[in-house]
Formats: sequence, C-alpha cells, structure tokens
Amino acid sequence: MDAYDKGSTARRSDPEPSTRRGPEPGAGTRRPPRVGLSALSLRYQIAGAFALVVVAAGACVHMAMVFLHVAPPNTASKEYGRTVDGWIYPEFEQNWKLFAPNPLQQNIAVQARAEVRTAGGGTHTTGWYDLSAQDGTAIDGNLLPSHTQQNELRRAWDFYLSAHDSENRPNGLRGQLSERYIRRIVVLRLSDEKDVAAHGERADGKGADGDRADGGAGGITRVQVRSRTTNVAPPPWSGEKVDPKPVYREVPWWTVTVADRALDSGTRARAAGEEAGAR
Amino acid sequence: MNRIDRVTGFALGPYQSAVIRIGFSATWLLFLLREFPHRHELYGPDGPWSWDMAQQLIAGNGAFTALMWSDGRAWFEIVYAAAVVTAALLMLGWRTRTMSVLFMIGVLSLQNRSIFMGDGGDNVIHLMSIYLVLTRCGQVWSLDARRAARAREEGGAGRPDRVGPLLWWLAGLGLSAITFMGVVSGGWLVAFWGLWAVQGLWWAVNRRDPYGEPRVLFDVIANLAHNGALFVIMAEACLIYATAGWYKIQGNRWQDGTAVYYPLHLDYFSPWPALGDLLASHGLMIMLVSYGTVVVQVAFPFTLFNRRVKNVLLVAMMCEHAVIAVLLGLPFFSLAMIAADAVFLPTSFLKRLGGWVARARGGLFSRTARARAVPGPRAAESPEQAHVGFTP
Repeated sequence: MDAYDKGSTARRSDPEPSTRRGPEPGAGTRRPPRVGLSALSLRYQIAGAFALVVVAAGACVHMAMVFLHVAPPNTASKEYGRTVDGWIYPEFEQNWKLFAPNPLQQNIAVQARAEVRTAGGGTHTTGWYDLSAQDGTAIDGNLLPSHTQQNELRRAWDFYLSAHDSENRPNGLRGQLSERYIRRIVVLRLSDEKDVAAHGERADGKGADGDRADGGAGGITRVQVRSRTTNVAPPPWSGEKVDPKPVYREVPWWTVTVADRALDSGTRARAAGEEAGAR
Repeated sequence: MNRIDRVTGFALGPYQSAVIRIGFSATWLLFLLREFPHRHELYGPDGPWSWDMAQQLIAGNGAFTALMWSDGRAWFEIVYAAAVVTAALLMLGWRTRTMSVLFMIGVLSLQNRSIFMGDGGDNVIHLMSIYLVLTRCGQVWSLDARRAARAREEGGAGRPDRVGPLLWWLAGLGLSAITFMGVVSGGWLVAFWGLWAVQGLWWAVNRRDPYGEPRVLFDVIANLAHNGALFVIMAEACLIYATAGWYKIQGNRWQDGTAVYYPLHLDYFSPWPALGDLLASHGLMIMLVSYGTVVVQVAFPFTLFNRRVKNVLLVAMMCEHAVIAVLLGLPFFSLAMIAADAVFLPTSFLKRLGGWVARARGGLFSRTARARAVPGPRAAESPEQAHVGFTP
C-alpha cells in the first residue's frame, strides 16, 4: 500500500483540479486503492498526462485518416489526399463497399485455351476451358470454399481489367504483372487437363521426366484467354428485361515462356538445394 | 473515480478484448488449416503469384512480409508453420503480448505476399492483427491469466519466471538477425525494437519495485495504449458498417429491394444454387432482407448510445453473418466479422458465456477447469465492466 499512500499525498499537492475529485478516504473504512494518474506523484503524472495526450491524438488522427480513406472523394480528401494515402498505404488499406452501391449483377467467367506442341512437331489447339465454371463446381455444396477457388481467378481478372485499357494494352508494371499472373494461373490449371497433358506428353516423348524438364506445363506453347459476361436474369417479379446473350472479351494469344511455368526449374533447384542445406 | 483515472488506471473491456483476441486468432488459425493443402498455390514461392512478381509489387508499396526475406521453399514452410503456431498460442493467451506481435507478423507476411488472394475477411484480420498488438487482451480467458492467478495464490513467493526472459532474448536475437540482414525497412524495425525494449524495461522496472512509481507509470501507459487501441477497434468496426451501409443506400438495387437476389445468383457466391431459385419466388422476403440489411448497417454506430437497442442489432448482425457464411460461401469472412461484432457484447453476457465454457470444459477436464474460470485481477476490481461495451 506504500505506493498508493505516496500517491495520495502527491494528490493533495496536485494543482490540477480534475484529479481532486477522487473519493476521500473515509475514516475506519478500507478505501479503494488509488489507480491511474492519481496514484502518481506530480513528476510521473506529467509523463502520464503526456502519454494520454499522445494516445488520444494518435487514435483520433488514425480514425480521421481511415474515415477520409473510406469516404467518397470530398473537399477534405482532395486537400489532404496525399497525406491520407501516405498514412493508410500499405498496411491500413481497406475497402468496405461490400455488394455496394449495387451487388454485381453479371457472371464473369474466365475461359482459356492452349496451343500444345505435338509429337510430329506440329501444334494442337485445345478447345475452350471454362475455368470459372470449374471454380463454381468446386464451390457448389462446399461449406468451406478455398481462396484458390473463390478469389484467385476472379480477383486476378479484376486486376487484369484494372491494369489494362479496353484495347488490352497494359498500363505500366501492374499491367505486365497482371498479364503474367493470369498466364501463370491458366498454365497451372490447363496443365492438368487431359487434352493438354496427352499432347504434352507425346511432345516430350520421355514420360514423366521429360514432362518435368518442361516445368510440368505439358508442352503448352501459347495460351489465349477470354471472358464471358452474362447478365443475371432479373427476379421474375421485377418485370425487367436484360439481354441474356453473353458478351465476350478476347485477349490476344500469349506466348508461354519458362517464367510462366507454375514451377520453373531454377526455383525448384534453389528450393531443393536449400532444403538439403536445412537438413 | 474520475474519467482520467478510469482510462489510465484500467485496461477497460477485459472480456471484450479477450473475446476478439480469441475470435480473430481462431479465424486465422482455421483459415490456415483449411488452406494447408493449397498453401503453395496461395503464398508459396512458385505459386501463380510468384515470389519475384510479389517482390516487384512490394518494391513499389513497401508492404511488410517476412516471406520476401528468402525465396526458398523451406523458409516458406517455416513461416506458414509459425503463423499456425502463433495463432494457436495467441488464441490460448500464452505470453499474449509477444504472441500478438508474432501473430501480426504471420498475418502480414502471408497476406501481403499475395494481396490478390484475399477478400474482406482477410482485410478485417489484417487490420485487427495490428491493433491487437497494442491491447492487453490476455487479462482473462488466457493461460497468462491462469498463471497470474496461481502466482497470487502462492503469495508471490513462487518461482521466478524463466520463460518470459528466454522469449525476450530469443526475440532480441531474431531482431538482431533481421537488422543485420537489412531485410526490414526503417519504420518496422523501429517499431519492433521499440516493443522489445519496452518489454525489457517493464521486466526490469517490475523487478526493482513492483509497487514503485515507475512501474505504476508503465501500467498507466499500457492501459492508455490498450484503451486507445480498443477505441480504434470499435471505431473501425463502426466504420465498416457505416461504409457498407451508406454506399448501399446509393445503389438502385438496394432501393428497389432486389439486391439480395443477385449475389445468390453469382457463380462465385452460390454454393447452394437451388436456394437462389427457391428465393426467386419470394420477392417480398428478398425486399425485407435487403432493406433490413441497409437499416441495420447504417443504424448500428448510432445504437451504441443505447445499450438495449445495440444488443438487439448486435444479435441481428451476428445472425446475418452466420447466414452469409453458409449461403454465400464466405465462412472466414463471416467469422472475422462476428469476431469484430463481439467487441460490443455486454460484459454480463460474456461472463456467463465464459462460465458455460468453463463448465463444459470442466466436464471434460475436471482438473484444470477451476483456474480457467477465475477472472484476472483487473477484471475483479474494475467497477466499469458493465459499461465498457460501448464507452471505451
């Protein structure tokens, strides 16, 4: 109890009125232990008060920044936009427009086809694979959909669209990265397809080992991607009509390089070396 | 007792901060376990979003991720495993402060490595993992609280703590390593070293005189940081609902009452397609749910001024998120949101909940149940508990 007693004498000499309102010790009754700033002598009280100001200011400034970040563009965010961005990015970025202002009313499916080297040295073009439909099937009846099924391709395509103009011209680094990202997802997924794998194996002519030297991509030389956008039919009671015909957006053929393989051999060798080293 | 003594003398909301600690760490833990088979595709060096692509993007925005320190497969496995273990330990409240820092490192490392894999749920956990570091979230329902209670029972004459200093030295060693490797940018390095130094100072001050003024001042500062962070967490939850609600008001689908119909017909958010067709014949219900969602989201922040209305809306929102988890196939997003909602639960309910859990546990492991149910020291002496749910 020493500390608290010291605190109480200090309290009496404390000039700040706000801390004087504590309960006075009643005679004969056990008074509650003094806590917080009142328990400290003036010197420590000043340090504590300083901390109080710093924390209060920090919390308020932070929430003001987050508010300006999530609010629509306005007078304040125009004035202080760069300060707000500097505070928010990269770790406090957030977007809560969940299904707002309107929920998405279109099913956007990403489809892909591949050009595969054949045994005779020619090329074979596969049919279109609806990768989003495969995601959809994986999600059906699933209580725990994986991010690889629900977010990977969907958000990769969003990223591609946001980093390209309508002529499929990339803008800057993000544009290039988004192209490579889509390509790598497509190569990863198409490598497992029968049509691709069958031709790929024949192209290598060496079975599993040859396949591996090829980075496991089954001899895919080029891929093409397109999106198929279909309007969700409005509810029957609304009386609205939308065009049920899907709209396609086709991206030109992309050449698949070693860098697009899901597992490029350089990384694999490095990883293997490190694993051996760790052992 | 005046207000200043309250915010400097107590880490308010001990049960609320414990429940969000458990909620967020459990959500992240379950997510990591669920994605374990897909971990390489999501965050591995050879995933579709490959290591060097991530590096090009991160070079531009400076996000923190330990996965950029090495592109080795072994390092990735270590980081993923560490994220799992630290999430579990934070959930149990073992060395809570240290684990909260490691938990944050795990969350940021994986999420910032592949930012295009996440959704709203990841975003919530990302923010909250940072805020949690500043809270004293292990005061109750934690192994730390149990250890403190046992030490009190033994009258303070117990054995000196060996694990704490050991962890501190290990953390210092790790920090030295990443400092000399030069892999972490200045701001983060200062933050980590700062937290480490405070831990060390705390131990030293406490050892010299646990009732001395420096120790009380440290307590004051820790309480302030906790209360400030808890305020930020609550304000953040309000901002989430306010943003979601106010933007919805502007959409014509939410105005004409058909909005809820659409997500149920999107291939990526309809695990039960038959359900969408079923609801298509209940226009009035779709409208009521659409309007109800907007009303609840817009109204929630204002209801914090009325305890009873707040609790009603809280139940409504938790139920809605539970439904979203199943119907839209967003279990981890919903869990994260329910954890965020839980910060507003009343203390009386949380205590009862703790009692039920302790009794259920008692049935299973009768030996350890009693200690778990003992509330922490601050909780016992705080007269404010009943109100902290809405005035941090």
